[in-house]
Amino acid sequence: MGNLLKSELFKLKKDTSFKKLTLALMLIAALFPLIASIYGTEQISVNELFLTIIGKNNYVLKLIPCLLAGYFIASEYSLGTMKSIASSGNSRIRIYISKLMVFSFGAIIFSVILPIGMTGTGAILSQFNDMPDLKYFAQIIIFTMLYAAAFASIMMLFATMFTDSGKTIGLLILIFLLFDGVMFMLASKITLFEYIYNYSVFKLSYDFININALESIEVFKLAIVPIVTYVIFGLLGVLAFQKKEIK
Amino acid sequence: MKDCVLKTNQLSKQYKHQVALNKVNLSIEKGSIYGFIGQNGAGKSTLTRLVTGLAMPTSGTVELFGETDERRLIQARKRIGATIEQPAIYPHMTAAENLEAHRLLKGVPGKECVQKTLALVGLHDTGKKKAKNFSLGMKQRLILAIALLGDPEFLILDEPINGLDPMGVVEIRELLKKLNSEKGVTILISSHILSELHLLATHYGFIHKGELIEQMTLHQLEDKCQQYFHIKVDNTEKAATIIETVLSTNDFEVMPDGVIRLYKYLDQPTKVSTALVNAGLIIEQFKSMGQDLESYFTKLIGGIQHG
Repeated sequence: MGNLLKSELFKLKKDTSFKKLTLALMLIAALFPLIASIYGTEQISVNELFLTIIGKNNYVLKLIPCLLAGYFIASEYSLGTMKSIASSGNSRIRIYISKLMVFSFGAIIFSVILPIGMTGTGAILSQFNDMPDLKYFAQIIIFTMLYAAAFASIMMLFATMFTDSGKTIGLLILIFLLFDGVMFMLASKITLFEYIYNYSVFKLSYDFININALESIEVFKLAIVPIVTYVIFGLLGVLAFQKKEIK
Repeated sequence: MKDCVLKTNQLSKQYKHQVALNKVNLSIEKGSIYGFIGQNGAGKSTLTRLVTGLAMPTSGTVELFGETDERRLIQARKRIGATIEQPAIYPHMTAAENLEAHRLLKGVPGKECVQKTLALVGLHDTGKKKAKNFSLGMKQRLILAIALLGDPEFLILDEPINGLDPMGVVEIRELLKKLNSEKGVTILISSHILSELHLLATHYGFIHKGELIEQMTLHQLEDKCQQYFHIKVDNTEKAATIIETVLSTNDFEVMPDGVIRLYKYLDQPTKVSTALVNAGLIIEQFKSMGQDLESYFTKLIGGIQHG
């Protein structure tokens, strides 16, 4: 499995979309506080900046990895390179798991650039004015990583099924944009959907911002749901990949 | 009997209502170069996809290096280098980076093998040029390099000379021959360029509409594709008698159109023509002919289609 992980990491490092998206997010992370400090009337509050970012970071968590799923996962099928991987003498379970792990790693990198980068830049520019609570900051970063991995697991399953970069990106963005709205509408009519939505990573990814105000059972729910989602979608992906005829 | 690297037993593959492969019993001896011949859609790629584990058989088994158990088959595939259908490379990477990704994947130790393999296929001087900017011939060489990585014992090559210039064709042919003779690499090669395949293969398999219709060695093929004199005269019966009596041979055939195919005296055309002329026959056509692999294959397929 080590060789598979090394190979996937090498490919991620060389992936043009990964490099460009990382660079774009880093630029935003650097420029946003810089512009705020130049044109703002008051000195930046790093805590306020951090709270603003984590509110918006949900979109990065859900949408940016869709592009990586298309270019890094689905393109392996459309380019035909998946044939080399599948015939390399490694079991399909290992191939899928190593790919999922590295794809999740890429999604996690995307998800933490803005909170860490913007907070860091803001702190330097404001000379560490009104810094966020360190424990809260660490909790948010850990939960951001957990949810990024859970979303990555879902995306990877779809990318494996669609096997075409354009189709994967388009459909994933559509699914991730519409899911909240559709589920909200269904939940208002059918109780089962309300239950499903309340325990889904889609809904909970909005809730972990308030982690410092939640009781421990709620925190446990916030932690266990993305882990279970990651495992379930990972297993579904393994099953789909094992039965897949690679063309 | 020699060891077999690959054996298939009643191997079949069906896609919905279409039979892509029908009870194929193929065997490839260790150290051979097996030319796999068939029209587009005959089942060549389906068979290679089943052997390499990209698709699952509907029925029958694949035996690779003596292994048939699914887990052991996966392990046995580590000893294979394969190129299947279209060029499968990472376009945004250089040739060396493409090989490095596959070296890591296959767990081949030592980075130096990347440059060594690139040199073997003549791609050592491509530097930072991305694979997407390669010509078709260069892409073919890169794919071959990927297949050669890790010194595989069995190479499965699908149209490996497609897009190569004449020099490239000769280079790759010589490389494959060298790998076969010096390292004992067994090669399964499918190509539409049958004349090229004829210069390389030691064994042949002919596949048509999912069925393996014939397997033979190079010697058997040469026997079947033997040279002959194509003779057309004004009196076929008399000519046949002259050949039997004067030339003392029965090694000839009278074709339905009256043409005689004489398989003897190939180095003595004057002797044959003199015997016929001396008997008062008028020679309308007299030429040396023979089947090549292409015409043999065409005849074989034609016979089946008309049969």
